[in-house]
Amino acid sequence: MREPVINFKHISMQFPGVLANDDISLDIMPGEVFALIGENGAGKSTLMNILYGIQTPTSGEVWIKGRRVEEFDPRNVIEQGVGMVHQHFMLVPSFTVAQNIVMSKEPRKHRIFFDNAAAEAAVRKLEEDYGLTVPESVPVEDISVGMQQRVEILKALYRGAEILILDEPTAVLTPQETEELFGVIRGIVREKHMTVIIITHKLDEVMAISDRVGVMRKGKLVGIHETRDVNQQMLASLMVGRPVLFDELERTGEPGEPALTVEQLRVLDHRGLVAVRDLSLELRAGEILGIAAIEGNGQSELIEAITGLMPVQSGRITILGKDVTGQDPGEIREAGLAHVPEDRLATGLSGAATVAENLLVGKQREARFNRWGFHQNQAAVRAYAEEVYGRYDIRGAGVEALAGDMSGGNMQKVVIAREFSFDSPVLIISQPTRGVDVGAIEFIHSRIMEKRNQGAAILLSSADLDEVFRLSDRIITLYEGRITGCFRASEITKEEIGLYMTGSRQQGGKEA
Amino acid sequence: MSKKINTKYLISLMVSIFLAFAVGAVILLCTGHSPLTAYGAMAEGAFSSLRHVGDVLEYAMVLAICGLACDLGSRVGIFNVGGEGQLLIGAIVAAQIGVSLDGTTAWLVIPLAALGAIVSAGLYAMIPGVLKVKLKVNEVITTIMLNTVAASLCQFMAKGPWKSANKTMVSATENLNVRYWFDGLIPGSNLSTAIFAAAIIAFLVWYIMQKTTQGFEMKLTGQNPRFARFSGMRIDRKIIVCMVISGAMCGMVGMFRVYGSEHLFKPSVSNDYYFEGLMVAMIARYQPLATILLSIFFAVLKVGAEGLQQVGVPNQIYLIIQTVVIFFMAAQSGFLECLSVRLQKRKAAGANAPGGPEAEEKGGAEA
Ligand SMILES: Nc1ncnc2c1ncn2[C@@H]1O[C@H](COP(=O)(O)OP(=O)(O)O)[C@@H](O)[C@H]1O
Ligand SMILES: [Mg+2]
Repeated sequence: MREPVINFKHISMQFPGVLANDDISLDIMPGEVFALIGENGAGKSTLMNILYGIQTPTSGEVWIKGRRVEEFDPRNVIEQGVGMVHQHFMLVPSFTVAQNIVMSKEPRKHRIFFDNAAAEAAVRKLEEDYGLTVPESVPVEDISVGMQQRVEILKALYRGAEILILDEPTAVLTPQETEELFGVIRGIVREKHMTVIIITHKLDEVMAISDRVGVMRKGKLVGIHETRDVNQQMLASLMVGRPVLFDELERTGEPGEPALTVEQLRVLDHRGLVAVRDLSLELRAGEILGIAAIEGNGQSELIEAITGLMPVQSGRITILGKDVTGQDPGEIREAGLAHVPEDRLATGLSGAATVAENLLVGKQREARFNRWGFHQNQAAVRAYAEEVYGRYDIRGAGVEALAGDMSGGNMQKVVIAREFSFDSPVLIISQPTRGVDVGAIEFIHSRIMEKRNQGAAILLSSADLDEVFRLSDRIITLYEGRITGCFRASEITKEEIGLYMTGSRQQGGKEA
Repeated sequence: MSKKINTKYLISLMVSIFLAFAVGAVILLCTGHSPLTAYGAMAEGAFSSLRHVGDVLEYAMVLAICGLACDLGSRVGIFNVGGEGQLLIGAIVAAQIGVSLDGTTAWLVIPLAALGAIVSAGLYAMIPGVLKVKLKVNEVITTIMLNTVAASLCQFMAKGPWKSANKTMVSATENLNVRYWFDGLIPGSNLSTAIFAAAIIAFLVWYIMQKTTQGFEMKLTGQNPRFARFSGMRIDRKIIVCMVISGAMCGMVGMFRVYGSEHLFKPSVSNDYYFEGLMVAMIARYQPLATILLSIFFAVLKVGAEGLQQVGVPNQIYLIIQTVVIFFMAAQSGFLECLSVRLQKRKAAGANAPGGPEAEEKGGAEA
């Protein structure tokens, strides 16, 4: 039998209040694709950070290619041939692709000056070797997220990585980009005999790409399986520790009165180009209207205009019959709208504030938290936060921890818990489960459906078509800022809807 | 949460201050002075007489209110570098109100002077606030430029329309009538009853920032303006209001200086006092309580530095220590990280000992 390239021996990692890794032993074999799955906060990133030398375990050892890691320091580990692409990219936006790739091992002229030509040549050579193309001389800030990820991968390869760690690489990718990434992974494993460890939440991806899969739960490694011996149902149950059914969600009640209407809305994007073209739609109480669109077809601008974050060029928006066109987000919220934004870190919360504070926002002026109109009742805030924290099954180091230190899925639960707590008649929800694990997805989906059944009018936008289909009563497709189709969710298939999303088919004169 | 950060912060602050004194000592040695004598003279300068203690408290008051004014701006994400100008404007307006109402009862003059300082300095600070919010003009640049404008304007008024009849003063307003002076608390020192007003202001600012709903909203605005706007806060208004209050506080300091210590307006009512307050605020990481405590500490150094002159050491050593503290505080984040990694490793090594590799190896050797 072959020797493992990496052994984790009894690794434990204690953070204040959290045992992130609990006595983990694991062997990774050369040339395999090993998938690591588990709920948000299960400790996957921590284990990989230890392997990459960013964190020092509280106890236990890591062996790479038969040698024990003496000092946990990325420089050491990189020398041993380990590369890592983090959940959040670590690129310098103003540097070119080539400059980013060669950073830390730059080719030099006369040993002092950075040699840009040599850098670009080196990158071109890498591209040929690995069959991965990137625009060498374009600044990183001008390329797409999928492309940035390639740059991260090439950066690791440039430093001589033979073992590549990818932490949730597909969370930010479109389905097409994911397919491309998998092509790259298969290529480097087959032709370069590299070893890949990939963390993901999407079980179909585990099935598609991995040879073996390890399941983590609450810091423990609860199972290692050959991928061909398992199926998605089994993996989901293993991750969550109970059966996850993804049954048909129960829908009750009929759509009621229109709660949100949009008439002839025109919105410009940040560059001043028309992003939403004279779009009209009507959203009724007790229904979920899903938006199916490829990123960049106006769905973000549509939502930002409705919620007051972006100016309206022309048209009219009403909430419960009240005209809110051009009002600021505060006034629109008062009219009866709550909003789960697509980018939770930039818009949905303050990472530097505590979880309790983030849960409070929007309610801070209520009498129970605001004595005499100015004194913040911090005990009441805490009690309220504790209650919501428990009810939404948020997991982390408690309500006094900083929101920015939480794992992505738990941040998302904080945002959802807060926005749902207003009991607003209109809910705008964007990317509700991006980067969220299956257990939490099931939870969030059932919460959304519960809101619908209670009579909320919900506008849902998601890059995940399965999600749109699962939740929506009606689906509209957007292409270049226009509605190209409007369907009952039961009337259309995913394949067919793709034609409307890409603009190759269109229903005449569409309004939703 | 705050507890953990506080211990970390305290350690780094202590280390920085210690290192600053060490650097100061090296410089003293290099220039042929004995650090011990010099630091001794400093302590003596600050504490040897009641008069000096009074001066320390008066200067601490100035630093604290200026520092808190800076804290307030930074809370909503605006960096008020213009406090010096706001202070001067407040001072000259307050002084001239006292001069022109000469003869009226102090019960009218003092509140009017305070109001004048608050309104004039507040409005003056509003300019950069509005420019930032409406036109996205960087407030650091506008406030710095407005400092120069304010200084020139005050010079002009004090040399022109409001000039004192006293020929020996080149640029100063008329002296205030003694009945309007804040009572001195310690004879011979600058300390006056203004410190009670300052204490109330300091308490209010601390309370607003730490304990109120409005302070909570300010904090979120500073941390993530997009999020604050998204959740329905009027962030533009908050930024302008904070800037106005920040300016008004500086204006009050100007009034305190005039009615408590100088008794007339002259350009030297403030010698870059706001900038020193701003540095204190920076060292205090814009936390109100720390700003107040550090103000006292730096006031001791500043007043003590006067004592240095007596043993023939230039008092600039005070400035050196102050800037070196800032330098080390800035470097500390990296430094502390290093320290905590070391500690973690030590702990890891300790945890390894019983069942870990060392034990195994030893066990093997013995067997
Ligand atoms: N630097 C840290 N300090 C304190 N707690 C941490 C730190 N990093 C991670 N944690 C905690 O450890 C647990 C595991 O986190 P992580 O490894 O990021 O989970 P995953 O990647 O599986 O979602 C979480 O509860 C998280 O809050
Ligand atoms: Mg993670």
